Amino acid sequence: MKLFFKEVEEFSERDEEAVDLLRRRLLGGAAVILPFFSIIIARLWSLQILHGDDYQKHAYSNRVRVQEIAAPRGHILDRLGREVVTNRPSFNVVLMREDSHNIEDVLKRLAPVLKEDISVLWERIRKAAGVPRYMPITLQEDIDWQTLAYIENHNQEFSGIRIEVKPVRVYEYQNLASNTIGYLGVISKRELETADREIYSGNDLIGKQGLEKLREADLRGGKGHRYIEVDARGFERKQLKQIDPLPGSQIYLTIDAELQRVAEDLMNNDERAGAVVAMEVKTGRLLTLATTPSIVLEQFIGGISHKNWNALRDNPKHPLLNKIVQAAYPPGSTYKMIVGLAGLYKGLVDRDTKIYCPGYYSLGNKTYRCWKHSGHGAVNLEQALEQSCDVYFYQVGQWLGVDTIAEFAQKFGLGEKTGVEMEHEKSGLIPTKKWKRQRYNERWHEGETVIVAIGQGYNLATPIQLTVMTAALAMNGRRMQPQLIEKVVDPSGEVVETFSPVVVSDEEFDPRFMDIIHQGMVDVVHGKKGTARKVAIDGLKVAGKTGTSQVVRVAKYRGLKDEDIPYHYRDHALFTCYAPADDPEIALTVVVEHGLGGSSTAAPIAQVILEKYFEEYLNEVRASEEKENNA
Amino acid sequence: MIRVDRRHFENFDFVLLLLILLVCGMALFNLYSASYPPKPYGTPPYLKQAYFFLMGAACCLFILSFDYNDLHIWNYPFYFSVVILLLLSYVVGSKAGGAQRWIDLGFFNLQPSEPAKLMLVISLASYYSRKEVIDGYNLKQLIMPILLTGLPFLLILMQPDLGTALMLGIIFVSMTLFVKVKFSTIATLGSTALAVVVIAWEKLLRPYQKQRIQTFLNPEQDVMGSGYQIFQSKIAVGSGGKFGKGYMEGTQGHLHFLPERHTDFAFSVWGEEWGFVGCLFFLGCYFSMLLWGLYVAMNARDRFGVLLAYGIVMLIFWQAVINLLMILGFLPVVGIPLPLVSYGGSSLLTTVAALGILMNVRMRRFQTHNPQARST
Repeated sequence: MKLFFKEVEEFSERDEEAVDLLRRRLLGGAAVILPFFSIIIARLWSLQILHGDDYQKHAYSNRVRVQEIAAPRGHILDRLGREVVTNRPSFNVVLMREDSHNIEDVLKRLAPVLKEDISVLWERIRKAAGVPRYMPITLQEDIDWQTLAYIENHNQEFSGIRIEVKPVRVYEYQNLASNTIGYLGVISKRELETADREIYSGNDLIGKQGLEKLREADLRGGKGHRYIEVDARGFERKQLKQIDPLPGSQIYLTIDAELQRVAEDLMNNDERAGAVVAMEVKTGRLLTLATTPSIVLEQFIGGISHKNWNALRDNPKHPLLNKIVQAAYPPGSTYKMIVGLAGLYKGLVDRDTKIYCPGYYSLGNKTYRCWKHSGHGAVNLEQALEQSCDVYFYQVGQWLGVDTIAEFAQKFGLGEKTGVEMEHEKSGLIPTKKWKRQRYNERWHEGETVIVAIGQGYNLATPIQLTVMTAALAMNGRRMQPQLIEKVVDPSGEVVETFSPVVVSDEEFDPRFMDIIHQGMVDVVHGKKGTARKVAIDGLKVAGKTGTSQVVRVAKYRGLKDEDIPYHYRDHALFTCYAPADDPEIALTVVVEHGLGGSSTAAPIAQVILEKYFEEYLNEVRASEEKENNA
Repeated sequence: MIRVDRRHFENFDFVLLLLILLVCGMALFNLYSASYPPKPYGTPPYLKQAYFFLMGAACCLFILSFDYNDLHIWNYPFYFSVVILLLLSYVVGSKAGGAQRWIDLGFFNLQPSEPAKLMLVISLASYYSRKEVIDGYNLKQLIMPILLTGLPFLLILMQPDLGTALMLGIIFVSMTLFVKVKFSTIATLGSTALAVVVIAWEKLLRPYQKQRIQTFLNPEQDVMGSGYQIFQSKIAVGSGGKFGKGYMEGTQGHLHFLPERHTDFAFSVWGEEWGFVGCLFFLGCYFSMLLWGLYVAMNARDRFGVLLAYGIVMLIFWQAVINLLMILGFLPVVGIPLPLVSYGGSSLLTTVAALGILMNVRMRRFQTHNPQARST
């Protein structure tokens, strides 16, 4: 400052007048400079100090992109840990736009290797024009080993081409329980709208049917993310961070894969449509869930072709239907245990009450035939079950009335969904007077009761309902919830869900009455006149009931020989059983659509399955028998 | 003519030299980062800039050797040379970015509009110092300055280089208002200017120039288009935070998000890499240099010296302020470089030469009165 004033004094030597005028105005210059300087500093303060964090975020979002890494989906295994559904890596050929210098040339060389026309590849590139630059374009999916090896070995010829690895489903047992397991597909627009956007994005595979859908949350795992830095042209510069994907949880089914394979093969070998359901009576574990014909899960990988889908849709045996829960059949004679039990309970009959069957039953002016036209003669309940006499049950049914029959049917869970973890379960139908009035606005006729009593008429039950019913009979009334998940294990090995039996109803029926029913069912298989005596297994006591349910009453087909009746008008064949009869373990139901005779078609299948299930036990028994014989 | 006086060395302004060297040093440093990664061919910008700086320094040595009052005479040939160069740039010049601005001299591209700014300062300073008016200039007396400004103004406007043309206008206004002007004259000129602006907006401005002004009014509206550069600049500067990301660590610059980073947006690179503290220091030096320039003007020995010093300070100041306000989001993109910092041979040479003249004025503040300085 002092220097400043010293210099000012020396002005006396200089052109003072001339400069004086201007000198004062110089302060005006400073008065212009300083405010601007302040504005700029203030602005810097605002941008850098006050909003520095916001701009950091902007800078970050400018340059950082997130790529998803697909998560390996959880495996599905059987109760013994046999792998039923796993994953394999699939290799996709992708184009990295930033690295590709001579796309034309590269594609010319690549097209024959991929066995694709070059125009197809160009089309794919063209379609991806709107996709961000750093994302690769898929040129071909799921290439085979040779193609993979060739591309890898001739790397330098294919600048900009990379191999991407994506997990894809593998069905180890080919087609085991395919309808129950279900397939995957690309997430649809509608599904995406309601989905959690943090988890799902446009191209994801999602379970579309069956367990893959029902347990999507357990199976999908967690996507990994790759954070890359991109420049303003959108090309990747370097990788910043990678979070590895989390595999999905493993799901263990209660199903025994070997038993399931046996059941499916038995049905498929003769091209039978229908269902086989086996359940542990004490726990409710489902051991077999076979529905035939079934879908081929491999066809759905990469999206099912129109041709294949149409074939499935138009197949008259309905492979898309999971008949275990989605098909309801008239139970036929398998219903008779219910009617019998009801009769006992209501005191209408007892163990020794005999009813005479002349081969027909008259009610009013109508005549109802017994399947054995010549009649069974006088039979008691056990015999009526053993020989499946219709007349006995026509009579008891009429005495009971439809509502009482319905009451007992409901005790076994018929007419309501079981709640098993499968989609679109049907509830079947157990008619009552009220139901008919509500449904048809008509009165109930006694004649209808009569046919309901033998499991025809409005009665409808799904194969799983029949199995639950039989299991409850085996357990004297204790009805278990059918379940198909044994356990769920997360990627760290922790068991996050484990099977625990659920008792739906613990009503215990009178053991005196149940004894009779049990005996009747045992006689079906082991009795001299049992309708299923041909399938008796040596060494194993089985209690069961055959059933033949009428599809439709068409006069012109009556009396015809079975082979002459067209397929769709043939009766369904049913057989339901439990074993061992004295200490039941397993309940089994076989339904063969249009199989004609329960004893001829359904029962033999059950026999093979039971033999497989009790294989070890039977081997032991037979081995010791031989020893005895040789001794 | 060239008189080597011992006092010259005594009176040499080391403070000003220090400030200039500091600013130029930091600017070169910054330019290295701003032009990284260097292209595999040709000379990298920072090196070129260094060469220009040395050339400019050599120029200064020459400038310092004569008395600045000689500029009264040299002013005429310089002015006409610049006008001829401007005309030449149409005939011989290269079109770049849709503008006819450069003349390719082989080793560098000469942009005549740059020295034109300095020539105008010198011309106006010369006129206003020789023609003294006590009560303030009237319109008749301003005809010459207006013509002096108008000619290069129109030539540059037609290139088209709106930014530099406006710069000439700003120089004219600054210097004219600095010397006293009659109020009535100011009113007349002011309203005429307004009318011209209105006509110009409608008739003369190109769409992209209008767009730039509209973006200025609402920059966020077109973030990916014309507002993009400003937005990216703010991100770069703002994300520098308190202490910056560090030298060469500016991601916005290095990933090409920041456009024109070695030219118009060079200071954004500094802002990103050195943060608020770095900006404060750099701008402190820069503005100190400018304020020191006013101090030089304060102590100049004659009217011409005062006007020269003042004009040069204003020349550098207004360019700097416009550039800084632009990169901070206050103004639309007008293509005004930050003197000494933005890459550009013509701009650097002109600015260094101008600072050389400033030094010259400073150095001869005690010189005995030179009869050539007074005009009759």
